[in-house]
Amino acid sequence: LPLVNPYGQQMAGEGDLLTPPGRATDDAEVARRFCAGDEQTLAWAYERWAGQVHGMAVRAFGPGPDAEDVTQQTFVSAWTGRAGYTPAQGPLPAWLVGICRHRIADTWVRLARQRRSTGTAAAGARSRTAGAAPGGVDDAVADRVLLLGELDLLGQPQRGIIELAFFEDLTHAQIATRTGIPLGTVKSHIRRTLERLRDRLEVDGAALPS
Amino acid sequence: VPHCPPEQLALAALGEALPEDDAAHLADCVPCRSEVDSLRRAVDVLAVPALATPGPAVSPPPRVWDAIAASTGVTVAPRAPAADRPVPGDPSRRRPGRRWLAVAGLLLVGLGVGAGTVALTRSPDVGGTVVAHTALHPMFRAGASGSATVREDGTTRVLEVDLRAPVLEEGYYEVWLMETGAQLMVPVGVLHPGDTDLPLPDGLDLAAYPLVDVSIEPLDGDPAHSGRSVVRGRLPG
Repeated sequence: LPLVNPYGQQMAGEGDLLTPPGRATDDAEVARRFCAGDEQTLAWAYERWAGQVHGMAVRAFGPGPDAEDVTQQTFVSAWTGRAGYTPAQGPLPAWLVGICRHRIADTWVRLARQRRSTGTAAAGARSRTAGAAPGGVDDAVADRVLLLGELDLLGQPQRGIIELAFFEDLTHAQIATRTGIPLGTVKSHIRRTLERLRDRLEVDGAALPS
Repeated sequence: VPHCPPEQLALAALGEALPEDDAAHLADCVPCRSEVDSLRRAVDVLAVPALATPGPAVSPPPRVWDAIAASTGVTVAPRAPAADRPVPGDPSRRRPGRRWLAVAGLLLVGLGVGAGTVALTRSPDVGGTVVAHTALHPMFRAGASGSATVREDGTTRVLEVDLRAPVLEEGYYEVWLMETGAQLMVPVGVLHPGDTDLPLPDGLDLAAYPLVDVSIEPLDGDPAHSGRSVVRGRLPG
């Protein structure tokens, strides 16, 4: 079933994953009023989708303060950044999930920095060579932040296509079926997007943002 | 021989099966393989379970909303704790990766997975005679590898798997012996990363089930192969 799906209204079953039956129109109304700044809709969005968001956070960090921070920051970011969302981009819960990915990646960076500073302090007596250890976890978390940011810059349908491939593990044929986009178009978008992400990694990759 | 079309290399980087001709070419073409590897870097960075589409919902404790309200200055409150408004389960949620079973044949032909070696040597540290050995090759984005060895001591055979793969947060690894078409298979047992010895069923014809496959299985009570193979190899013989 679709979740990260930029094609909103066109898709059969849209929103089924996150939306209890019979609530679809309510969700559209919540989304519309959310971007209009109606405070009540933040509470409604939380009632409906905090469980999914928190489930993602818990999957990444286990239950506890890190996961709770991610969930909290996801909704705070969504609220303060609501001007960046329009229902035409797709369902509100999918947008929340996208924000949650960023907050998870940010938390990986924070934890990597903590590990690094702990390690640096421990090593301080032996060596004055500070700074990031090359390779390993630091590079991976920095690259995730970098590439999630690059995904945000993609237009549609490119972004939706690559997200279905990355985050729902769909084949190009399944993506074509799901979206109604011709197979050849899906393939060429995938190719160009992977090239773009590769270029971004080659230029800016593997450096922990400071 | 023409190189693979660029689009096919991108699909290979995503772990998709290629048409037989392209797969065969890719197996032998260094430039094409290095192109796949370079495109796969972004896949490895982003296509990780923690960023995948949400799975089961988990209700956050009430203090999470309190912190949100404090940060945003919003004075309304959810009508009920998220805990009391469960998001429905999604039994139709796609079981990932059924396609990987079908990929098997192509990989075996195209990528030469069956590069096993026959050895008839006495294993130095464990009892039994090594009757077959193969490297285990990554199947998808798993970053996994390993090796599998069949040892025989009298009439008892043991499959020894050395699996180099991440510890799973959910589910478990299971090893299977499969026929070449990957349609029929025999479950051999549960694995942890590292070395595991598992007894093989007496009378099992290894020539009929030469593929050693390690999959990730969810704890869902379904005894069938999940389709999520992480490594595979082919025992010679």
